[in-house]
Amino acid sequence: MALLSEVKKDYGKLKNYVNGEWVDSTSGKYIDIENPTTGEIIGQVPMSSADETKAAIEAAHEAWWAWRETPPITRARVFFKLKEIMEQHFENIARIMVQEQGKTIDEARGEARRTIENVETAAGVPTMMMGYNLEDGAAEAIDEEAVISPLGVFGAVCPFNFPAMIPYWFWPYAVATGNTYIIKPSSQVPLTQNYLTKLVEQAGFPPGVLNIVNGSHEVSDTLMEHPLVKGISFVGSTPTAKYIYKHSAENGKRVQAQGGAKNSLVVMPDAVLDRSISNMLASTYGCAGQRCLAGSNLIAIGNIADPFVKSFVERSKKIKVGYGLDESVNMGPVVSAKAKKKVIDYIDGAEREGAKILLDGRKIKVPGYEKGHFVGPTVIDGVTPDMTLAKEEVFGPVVGMMRMESLDEAIEFINKSPFGNASTIYTQNGKSAREFRYRCQVGNVGINVGLVAAMAYFPFAGYKNSFFGDLHGQGQDAIKFFTDRKVVITRWF
Amino acid sequence: MVECDFPECNTFGSTIRFALELEKGAAGVYEELAMQPGAASGAEMFRTLAASHKKRGELLEFTRQQKLNEMILEPIQDMRREDYLIDTKTPGGLDVKGAARFAAKIEGQSAKFYLDAAKIAKDLMAEAARIMDKLGKENQVNKTKLDSL
Repeated sequence: MALLSEVKKDYGKLKNYVNGEWVDSTSGKYIDIENPTTGEIIGQVPMSSADETKAAIEAAHEAWWAWRETPPITRARVFFKLKEIMEQHFENIARIMVQEQGKTIDEARGEARRTIENVETAAGVPTMMMGYNLEDGAAEAIDEEAVISPLGVFGAVCPFNFPAMIPYWFWPYAVATGNTYIIKPSSQVPLTQNYLTKLVEQAGFPPGVLNIVNGSHEVSDTLMEHPLVKGISFVGSTPTAKYIYKHSAENGKRVQAQGGAKNSLVVMPDAVLDRSISNMLASTYGCAGQRCLAGSNLIAIGNIADPFVKSFVERSKKIKVGYGLDESVNMGPVVSAKAKKKVIDYIDGAEREGAKILLDGRKIKVPGYEKGHFVGPTVIDGVTPDMTLAKEEVFGPVVGMMRMESLDEAIEFINKSPFGNASTIYTQNGKSAREFRYRCQVGNVGINVGLVAAMAYFPFAGYKNSFFGDLHGQGQDAIKFFTDRKVVITRWF
Repeated sequence: MVECDFPECNTFGSTIRFALELEKGAAGVYEELAMQPGAASGAEMFRTLAASHKKRGELLEFTRQQKLNEMILEPIQDMRREDYLIDTKTPGGLDVKGAARFAAKIEGQSAKFYLDAAKIAKDLMAEAARIMDKLGKENQVNKTKLDSL
C-alpha cells in the first residue's frame, strides 16, 4: 500500500521561540535530526547556549504578571482556541512524529489525541484551580480561605519517545493556572514541538507565555539553576531523573522527575489467553518498546506457561515492521543507531546468561529501509529473576518470558524491583486482581490492560526509581504542582 | 473504473483506510451507474447512494481522528483483505436491474466488511465498533432495496 506523504522532506535549521518570536540560535552549534526509518537527515536543531536560555527565562518572567492577572476563564479560552487549531492540524502533527521518532501512524495519531486531551483538560482551569474557604474558620467573625496562586516561570526537559504528548503533560496546566513556561524538547525529536508551537502562536497566547529553547545539557542546567525558575518537570532515564531531582532541589525548585521502568505483565492460569495476548502485543511492541509503560517481563503462572509462550511467539511473528507512514505497519524502528545497539546488547547478554531466544529480531531486514534502526519483535524464554534482562530497562521490542509458581511469587518479584512504574495482571478472578492492585508497589496498575497510560485528567503516576517528586504530571496533580496555596484570614472591624 | 488501493486490515488505521477506499469505490461506481443511459430510471437513486457513501467517508475520517485510544491499539490479526474487496470496474450497457445487481454486490461485500470489523473492534475500541456496526447495517438496508428492484 502507498505510504502516507511526509509533511516535509527537510525541515531546515530550527529556531527557538522566545518572547513570541522565532529566533535563530546564536550558539552556531547544530546537530542533525535523523529520520530513524530512512536514515535521512531531515533537519538541524540548535544547541542553544546558557545565555539564550537565560534570555528566554527573563522573557517568561516579564510576561508572567500580566498573564497571571488574566482571568482564568480568559486563559481557558485561549486553550479552547488552541484545541481547535490542533484538531485542524491533527494529521500533520501525527505524521511529523512518525518522521522524526519512527512510531507508527496509529501510535502517532493516538499520541496526538492524548496531546489534545491535555489541552482540553487544562481548559477546565476555572474549576480545577478553585480554592476553598470556611466562614468563621479562624474564630467568630474571622473567615479563613485558601487561594490557589500561580508561582512564575516553570520549565520542562523532555524525552524522545513521545515528542508531542509529554511536554503537554505539563505546560498547559502551568500556563492555564497563570504561570509562564519554557520547553526544552528532546534534541532527537524537536520537530513536533516546533510545529505545535506554531499552532500555539496562532492561538493567541501573549509573547513570553510559552517559549521553546532547543539544546542539550547547557539549557537544562540553566533552567535548573536560574533563580527565576520555580520548578522543573522531567521525563527520561532514572539516572538523569535523579540528577535533575537533586540538582533542581539544591537550587530551591519544585521537581517532578519521571524515570525509567521495568514493567511486568502477569498471566494467571485463568487468563483469557487470546484477548490477553492481543493486549500484551500492544504493550510490548507499541512504539517499538520505547515507552516507560511497555511490558517487558511476561510472567506466566503455573501451567498456562507453555501454551501462552507458544501462542505469544506465533502472534509476535505476525507483527509487521516497517515505515510508520504505511498504515498497515504494526511496529517501526527504534530511535537511533545507538538505541539499536543498546537493545541488541541486551539480547546478546540474555543469550550469554543462558536464556533461550525463541524469536530473534536482531537481524531483521526491512526492504527499502536498509538504513533504518530496526529491531524485530524478540521473545526470550527461560528468563530468571537474577538475569540482567529481568532487571534492567531495555527500551526496545524485547520480551523476557518468566515462569513462576504463584501470584505471591510474582508480586514479590515486582516489589523487589528498584522500579515502580507499572504492572499488569491478566485474570478473570476478582480476588487475584484485588490482591495484585493492593500489594504491588507500582504507580500504575493494570487489570487486563497492559498499557496503563493515565488519561489527561488522572496523574501519570510512578513509584520508587520510576519517579522522583511528590506531584505527577497531568490532571489535578499538575494543577497542584504549578500552584501554591495562599491562606488569607479576614476580619472586618 | 474507480481506482482504489485496499490495504491489509491489520491495524486500526489500515482498517479505516480500507473502509475509506470502500466508500470512495462505492461512491465512484454509483456516480458512473447514474450516468448510464440504460439505467436512467435509477439515476436519482444511484446519485443519492453516491452522496451517502461520500458522507460516510467523512464519518470514517472523524472516527480515525477522534475514536482511537492509543492505550488499546492492539494489532488486528483476524481480517483478510481478500475477503472484502469490491469490484470497482463498472460494466457498461447495464439496464437498471443489472446496475442494481452490481451495486447490491458492493453493498453486500461492504456490509460483511463492516460487520466483521465491528465484531473485532468491539473488543478493541467499542466506540469505533458502534460506528462500524451502523455502517454495516446501512449497507444491508441498501442491499435489500437494490435486490428488490
